[in-house]
Amino acid sequence: MGEQRLVPDRLPEELTAMLGGYLSRQRWYAGKGEPASVTVQDQALVVADELVGGRLLWAVVEADGDRYQLLVGERPVTEVGEHLRGHEDALIGTAGDRAWYDAVVDSEMAIAFLHLASGGAEDASRARPLSVEQSNTSVVYDDRLILKLFRRLSGGENPDAEVTSALAATGFSHVAAPLVRWRRNGADLAFGQQFLAGGTDGWALALTSLRDLYGSASTSGPYPPGASGGDFAAEAARLGQMTAEMHLAMADAFGTSDETSHQWPGFVSVLEQQAELLVPALVPAGAGLFRRLHQVRDPGPAVRAHGDYHLGQVMRTDAGWYVLDFEGEPNRPLEERLRPTSVLKDVAGMLRSLQYAPQFVLWERADSELPVLDEAARAWQRRNCNAFLTGYYDCKGIEQVLPPTPQDREAVRVAFELDKALYELGYERAYRPDWAAIPQAALEHLLSSPAEELVAPPGKWGNEGEDDPEDDPGDAGQA
Amino acid sequence: MAPGERVSGTASADVRWYQRAVFYEVLVRGFHDSNDDGSGDIQGLVGKLDYLQWLGVDCIWLLPFYQSPLRDGGYDISDYWTVLPEFGQVADVAQLVDESHRRGMRVIADLVMNHTSDQHPWFVESRQDSTNPKADWYVWSDDDQRYSQVRTIFIDTEKSNWAWDPQRGQYYWHRFFSHQPDLNYDNPDVADTMLDVVRYWLDVGLDGFRLDAVPYLFERDGTDCENLPETHAYLRRLRKEVDSLYPGKVLLAEANQWPEDVVEYFGNDDECHMCFHFPLMPRMFMSVRREQRYPITEILARTPDIPDGCSWGIFLRNHDELTLEMVTDEERDYMWSEYAKDPRMKRNIGIGRRLAPLVDNDRRVAELLHSLLFSLPGSPVLYYGDEIGMGDNIYLGDRDGVRTPMQWAPDRNAGFSRADFAQLYLPPLMDPVYGYQAVNVEAQMRNPSSLLHWMRRMLEVRAQHPVFGTGSMEVVSTDNPSVLAYVRSSLPAGEGGAHGTTDEAELRADHVLCVGNLSRFAQPAQLPLQRWQGMMPIELTGRVPFPPIGELPYFVTLAPYGFYWFGLVRRATSSTGG
Repeated sequence: MGEQRLVPDRLPEELTAMLGGYLSRQRWYAGKGEPASVTVQDQALVVADELVGGRLLWAVVEADGDRYQLLVGERPVTEVGEHLRGHEDALIGTAGDRAWYDAVVDSEMAIAFLHLASGGAEDASRARPLSVEQSNTSVVYDDRLILKLFRRLSGGENPDAEVTSALAATGFSHVAAPLVRWRRNGADLAFGQQFLAGGTDGWALALTSLRDLYGSASTSGPYPPGASGGDFAAEAARLGQMTAEMHLAMADAFGTSDETSHQWPGFVSVLEQQAELLVPALVPAGAGLFRRLHQVRDPGPAVRAHGDYHLGQVMRTDAGWYVLDFEGEPNRPLEERLRPTSVLKDVAGMLRSLQYAPQFVLWERADSELPVLDEAARAWQRRNCNAFLTGYYDCKGIEQVLPPTPQDREAVRVAFELDKALYELGYERAYRPDWAAIPQAALEHLLSSPAEELVAPPGKWGNEGEDDPEDDPGDAGQA
Repeated sequence: MAPGERVSGTASADVRWYQRAVFYEVLVRGFHDSNDDGSGDIQGLVGKLDYLQWLGVDCIWLLPFYQSPLRDGGYDISDYWTVLPEFGQVADVAQLVDESHRRGMRVIADLVMNHTSDQHPWFVESRQDSTNPKADWYVWSDDDQRYSQVRTIFIDTEKSNWAWDPQRGQYYWHRFFSHQPDLNYDNPDVADTMLDVVRYWLDVGLDGFRLDAVPYLFERDGTDCENLPETHAYLRRLRKEVDSLYPGKVLLAEANQWPEDVVEYFGNDDECHMCFHFPLMPRMFMSVRREQRYPITEILARTPDIPDGCSWGIFLRNHDELTLEMVTDEERDYMWSEYAKDPRMKRNIGIGRRLAPLVDNDRRVAELLHSLLFSLPGSPVLYYGDEIGMGDNIYLGDRDGVRTPMQWAPDRNAGFSRADFAQLYLPPLMDPVYGYQAVNVEAQMRNPSSLLHWMRRMLEVRAQHPVFGTGSMEVVSTDNPSVLAYVRSSLPAGEGGAHGTTDEAELRADHVLCVGNLSRFAQPAQLPLQRWQGMMPIELTGRVPFPPIGELPYFVTLAPYGFYWFGLVRRATSSTGG
């Protein structure tokens, strides 16, 4: 594959002038509108033998207080169409006979970049970009390796690269094996992992199960989810088991502390304030719950957690479940994302996701179907939350990262469900007002149910699918 | 074999025929009755060979036809050298083989090596006392405590693998029913005699054997007595004998184990040529119920590579129950609750149902499952009657529910026999949905849109593409869990389709893309086919060209339970740009 190296070089003036407009069109750009100014902080040319007929430029720029990594392809205007086919929106602009574009869409450029980032250790014959995420861009090579190019840079270690590498080093086998870690001046710039070919994210798999259930329920009336062909409970239980193993590996890799205990009273008070702010009408009914949360004696150890754990962050493969993306909630500050917390924060995140999924699919259905489907949705949520929790709590050794008593354990779990639902409500109101009803319903349930009911341990789930709707376990967030 | 016969003409050149063959399992008793005695026979089968040839069958697999008291469907052999009189004689078997070869088909038969009937003269002699010449031909013990780690297979009827024989005053060993004592392969006379049996039937003309219950031949203290090294050594000896004296014959092992254990029976292509892949079958059904591909792709990922000359035998249903030994307990409960709502349908650790009732008689599901059966790696094995969607009778005892007479015509006794109805070995199905008035060969032959014609067409397409039998397989990943897509390729994975190659092997290569929708709802799928960029998918049953594969993921939509087989061909005016 020849030699590849970065040679300091200046970006063409015409290109630099276009970057403000380009940045403002990117999903990973944090600012609103075109930045007032763009400052190039670092710029170089990727020199690679295999690049013919084009140049690959690399840069870090600052815009409105944030730093971004750019990878720009340059080719003659007459040839660029061929390399952009299907990705015309990646074009940054043209000047004279030259055109610039986001180089990740150009297989030849993307492969040259892989060679550079891996120091020549990895090679590929094909590259394809995946859909863009909030803070990075991913390229898949030969359906074997996925390289994440960090776009918005925080400087220093990237949490995803750091945690994935640390978990893999403990022998935890449910993360995609780390293969490439490209860093400059102590900062993570790109991270490559084994590509989980044939995988499906948990969200898509849950929706498959739900469509099957709703298909049965809409024709034959109330239908126990355990009896439907697409029952998800066994998957949810295995997911719970894998989650617990992840937390034990986290404790192994990063250690534990008692930070949570010191933070607990403050955390509950913030919850109260947030509730007062977002759902003031529900706060009086929630007084009992808050009282109960204040009574928690020992919220358990603090551990480095996933931080943004939901069905979209786990991947079902032929070898079971894998966990992805340890960046944490992208809208929270980095320092907060890195802070150790209770592992039940992740558990609560998944339980919230198991409420979102059945409600999300309900939106595709006709109003006339809703009465019967709504019941099916709640039964599905109940069954799968129970299965997830059972799989989680049954994992050998998990008690060492949990609160010591079952009462405190469930109270802490409910507190994090509340925390997450409040965060969701704020987010949905700001970005997707149509969806605000989902966390709103969850908050109504959490704040108006008797506290003792909420903190009951999970119910059983069997294979017969005969869930008793009256035997309501402690899982929260039901509409 | 006489010169001019179609099979013998190619046999020497094509010793690996079984890798591309479609097998068809026949219950001689249930197929066709030539002498009006109410029971099917070998001459009856000879009379139906034209039908099997028309259907596209390459190899007929006969269930046991040897002399037997028939307490276990003929798997309790009481004389290896003779044919059950009601089926015919050895000369009839020879004629069946000749007539099949003339039509380009082969014939293999079940051979039970592990045990005999308790009425076999060897056992009758062996049980008399402990000093007779056959005294050591079976496994005898003074107590019933040896080999205590061995599981009991027929848990419904047998409490122990030891049975007391009052005549000899000792216990004898049996892995299956107590009337089926296990032969003692540590006795060289037994080991040699069974090779004589094999040579005898290959001399009659059979093209091979399906070896019943092979993991259990030997017993050793402190083991589970399955898959022992001694058993493998004996199979190597058998294989060497067959390959040197009778090239082009096949040994097909029945070993109901996990694939990683079953591969041991291929050895280094020096044990069995073929083995059944048991766990794939229940998982195909499970995938359709779950509407997702993971039950299938998981087991394929767990299936090790096998030696080049070897092949898996894959099937949807056979004469035994839907075997659930190879699924986890949780999945087994699930399969039971899904497919065997009536407890009578549960037998041993499985479900005794035919394909059509298992899928609620949904032809779309039956077609989807067959499209998988015909395109996944391995040689497909059809069970007689499934090609017309026959049903079952769960009220018949034991495993007879799926062994009712083949339904040839809407006439008396389903066209199976001209005997009195009361004389039939089992009553044909007569219910309004699956009965012979509704489901029979004659009616489906006349109807071009019948399941039977669909099967024939698919087998025809399959035969045009040897890659289905011998090609590599690569799963194509797609975000939609309800869609299963894979490419069968005559080039090893990783070498096919690399664009710009004009290598001669590449030009002759055959690639088939199979896409199936496991859901009852229509589904979209985006397939990352960039590796095949520039090639054009041609739908194989209708030769309809689809848009060429470009740089973006290839988009297909699938009807409920829909599937496609696409041949990937290089366009005449292919662009190499990109």
